[in-house]
Amino acid sequence: MSYNSKEIKKGITLHTIKTDKFKTNLLAIFLTFPIIKDEATKNTLIALMLKRGSKLYKTREDITNKLAEMYGASLDSGIEKSGDNHILKFYLESINEEYLPKKEDLLKESVNLLFDVVFNPNIEDGKFNEEFLEQEKYSLEQIINSKIDNKAMYALNRCIEEMYENKPYGIYKYGYVEDLKNIDGHNLYEQYKKIISTCKIDIFVSGNNGNVDNYIMENDMIKELNEREPKYVTEGKSSNENNEKYIEEKMDVKQGKLVIGTDIKNFGKDFRYSAQVYNAILGGSANSKLFQNVREKASLAYTVSSNYMKLKSNIFIRAGIEIENYEKALNIIKEQIEEMKQGEFSDEDIINAKRIITAGIKNIKEEQDIEISYYYGQELSNVKTSIPEYLKSIEEVSKQDIIDVANNININTIYFLRD
Amino acid sequence: MQVIENKIIKEKLYLEELENGLKVIVIPKKDTNKKMAIIGTKFGSVDNHFIKPQTKEEIVIPDGVAHFLEHKMFEQANGTNSLDTLTAMGVEANAYTTNDHTAYYFEAVDNFEPAFKELLDYVFNPYYTDENVEKEKGIIAQEIRMYDDDAISKVFLNALECMYEKCPVRLDVAGTVESVNKINKDILYDCYNTFYNPSNMILSVCGDFEPNYIIEFVKNNMRKIEKIGKIERIYPKETEKIYSNFKETSMDVSIPSFVIGIKDNLEKENIVKKELILNILLNYLLDENSKLYKELYDEGLLISEPDLEYEYSDIYSHMIIFSYSKDPKKVFEKIKTEISNLKENGLEEKSFNRVKNKIYGRLITSYNSPAQIGRIFMRDYMNDIISFDYINEWNNITIEEANKLLKDKFIEEKMILSIVNPK
Repeated sequence: MSYNSKEIKKGITLHTIKTDKFKTNLLAIFLTFPIIKDEATKNTLIALMLKRGSKLYKTREDITNKLAEMYGASLDSGIEKSGDNHILKFYLESINEEYLPKKEDLLKESVNLLFDVVFNPNIEDGKFNEEFLEQEKYSLEQIINSKIDNKAMYALNRCIEEMYENKPYGIYKYGYVEDLKNIDGHNLYEQYKKIISTCKIDIFVSGNNGNVDNYIMENDMIKELNEREPKYVTEGKSSNENNEKYIEEKMDVKQGKLVIGTDIKNFGKDFRYSAQVYNAILGGSANSKLFQNVREKASLAYTVSSNYMKLKSNIFIRAGIEIENYEKALNIIKEQIEEMKQGEFSDEDIINAKRIITAGIKNIKEEQDIEISYYYGQELSNVKTSIPEYLKSIEEVSKQDIIDVANNININTIYFLRD
Repeated sequence: MQVIENKIIKEKLYLEELENGLKVIVIPKKDTNKKMAIIGTKFGSVDNHFIKPQTKEEIVIPDGVAHFLEHKMFEQANGTNSLDTLTAMGVEANAYTTNDHTAYYFEAVDNFEPAFKELLDYVFNPYYTDENVEKEKGIIAQEIRMYDDDAISKVFLNALECMYEKCPVRLDVAGTVESVNKINKDILYDCYNTFYNPSNMILSVCGDFEPNYIIEFVKNNMRKIEKIGKIERIYPKETEKIYSNFKETSMDVSIPSFVIGIKDNLEKENIVKKELILNILLNYLLDENSKLYKELYDEGLLISEPDLEYEYSDIYSHMIIFSYSKDPKKVFEKIKTEISNLKENGLEEKSFNRVKNKIYGRLITSYNSPAQIGRIFMRDYMNDIISFDYINEWNNITIEEANKLLKDKFIEEKMILSIVNPK
């Protein structure tokens, strides 16, 4: 198994992961650019419109029929926010020809299809098809409105919005309903041309793929793409300076959702590794202080955990609790944060936490999409760390490093969704 | 040891039944660092009335016991918790309960042996006390509350309540806060001693192993347990008719979600082929390539491809169509119309083959990771199926058979609609 990356043109990188572990080939294209409030809705809509038809495959049906013929290859797209970047992700997964009832070069077809979808949209008279656009605007409106449907996710997003009010990271990745009305086929195409000629482009291929480099280099769409000085953000803006800002919101819910957003002050080169270990001890697993104390000892919650968001240097603590138990749960959580500051955790806690993180790192190469995300993460942060180096850095985190993290944490916002 | 090879997918399976009745499946997989083990028992939320083989005593239990027991299996007599122990080893461990089975598993890159030992230890050594049972009630109450706020679980549960009058599949897997409060340690031990007998269980292991090594490892690391006789489960008699054809409720959500259910008769023969064909039919009808989906999408009645499923056990069998729509009733009407058109005109050959190929692709893709493979083989073997059979049967499916099942199974009187509306 091997990983290679090369810049095929300035700002456009091809990553190839050769592996015969899987029965499928996975192809991915990521378009990365800074997230901007006024453009977020348009960019999301572009991702939706690209899947509505390309020059070769004019309609959604043409695309899905082609996919079905390719033994149910799947084309997925995602809109993500990573740090202060907006990312449009396109994936095409197809079966390795070794497992087909009769031989066909599915990978070559996959490359041609995915590149046509992303880089060769169905444009007539300088605009996207207006009829399709109306349908996709309607779809996007539903997607944006559905943010209230998953209560746990909604609560987390709201906490982030409060912490990053008027900052790029506070922007909702799918955009805003009120921006939809001003979008038409023409201005959407202008936006497409703008992002496609300036964004960072990463192309990934994972699988058993002898000829894939040639397929990609010979692809007409690739030939036509211009060189660029890609605009993307490596160091984003930090959160607003709050100290335990309390936000309560009411909805018709049976369970309260508590989210505590914290900031970790950057205090040195390797603090991210220490923060990862800190988070694992605080709330990263079933062994963690939060799980043990809020759930197992006090029986207050079924879900309680913490997540470390590396790019923004935040830890989010989340719990689903009986609404009347708010004070009780909050106090126990704060006690755990305090104990971490005092160094009240054992060497065994540290060893266990490291083992959990290490297992995660060793798992990177076992799943195609995880491996792609790992290499992409390195692109975004501009820090190239090999897997052995990553493992070593985690191993080297000391108790004092973890205590240092604990003492650089500040509760920014406490958000509570209740009835 | 039985060896079964599949030449298409290029995988082999080893199967052995131990003296204590445990069925062990090993799927060796080269070139992977990941390993997984999963052990399942045929004990799910539907098994709430049974006769204990040891005493012939008839027992009725509160709703939610199978799930409660799953939570409590991790606790050990020496005061440790096996979930903590496994997590500390750096393996990913978990468990789940469904309508018809409960399973415990872990995935590992390192430390497979100690983790496997721990799995074989905690699953076969229960430790329930009044205190640890009481403590769990608060945690499970919060799990139930979490699902109370989840429109998707509500719309599915209501669909089952429509299709079935008495069959316990209509009950929530976790039970209710009230039923959970009735659970005590004696009930748990009664159920444990019945359903966690190895003869009612299947272990499936996938990774880069020698099959013999795994079989010996299991034999050497399991305490001695006597095989018990067949467990007699008592289920209420369910008619073939649906209970009601419609149910709606409202929650704090943005868009209506719906489930269309199609109740089916219980059958045991040719189940693999039947499952494949029903999946082909559901996809033919409403996957993203279908004529109907295009129509509904263009009218704004659907915004994403519906989930299409066929589910069955010994006591239930139905198809499910789940999605979101501003007007589920209209979607339901259009689906019914399309079904009767298809019945009248028959399936088109080209589309049929397209869907058939797509189903093939899905079967192959499911062999990508040890975690998935282990789970699929355990799950299928619960129904006495060797998962490779799906790939073998796929070749034998004809359009004539599909046309026949379409006529036999997609019956309007057996369809129900469940909706969760926004408030």
